[in-house]
Amino acid sequence: MTAHDMRPTRPFYLNLIQIRLPIGGFVSILHRASGAALSLVVPALLYVLMLSLRSEADFAQIRNLAGGVLGALVGLGLVWALIHHFLAGLRHLGFDIGWGESKLRARMTAWIVLFAALLLTAVAAVGWLA
Amino acid sequence: MRNVGGAHRGLNMWLVQRASALIMALYLPGFLVYALVVGPLDFAAWHGLFVPLAVKVSSLLFIAALLVHAWIGLREIFIDYVHPMTIRLPLLFLFGTLYLGCLIWAADILWGVK
Repeated sequence: MTAHDMRPTRPFYLNLIQIRLPIGGFVSILHRASGAALSLVVPALLYVLMLSLRSEADFAQIRNLAGGVLGALVGLGLVWALIHHFLAGLRHLGFDIGWGESKLRARMTAWIVLFAALLLTAVAAVGWLA
Repeated sequence: MRNVGGAHRGLNMWLVQRASALIMALYLPGFLVYALVVGPLDFAAWHGLFVPLAVKVSSLLFIAALLVHAWIGLREIFIDYVHPMTIRLPLLFLFGTLYLGCLIWAADILWGVK
């Protein structure tokens, strides 16, 4: 018998379209999706950091890009991803120390994470576009 | 054969994921307050934020934690969705190398601020 045959028969591959998720699951999927997106843009963000610190002209160019429609959309999308991932992560750290594990509390904090991330992104948007 | 790419080293990764999260959870609000206190950020002020050695060190620590955190997170996703080891392991190698390069690059960016 190979190691592969001895794998447990639990579902390994979850079809996201077929599952109807409770709010905690929805926040969890967004946690993963936002984390994946942020992971993939790290090199691009480092490039932006490099330009912003390199010279006055490069800094101005970044600022212009950030002020455009596309730049603002991408930037604020990433701000939302960061805030959502951050807050959902704090919620998980709470679970790790045994806080908020009851069903009611877990549902409540999931809603709070979802809306607080959107709210804080809106606040950031005001600052971004000002 | 030793299982090199599976989900059986959970505890170490689990713990490192939380430790790196903690570093970021401390740095990010701290840096945000620091930047807000300094005030409107034109180039000189933004550049000036990174001059103190303590800011360089804590920022590099943050970026290191971020890269480790990102790598472990991607690993979780690959374990769930990329099953053939002939694809999963090269992906882990690719991102590991990319992120190590990013860390060195970040050090250069930060210490380039005089």
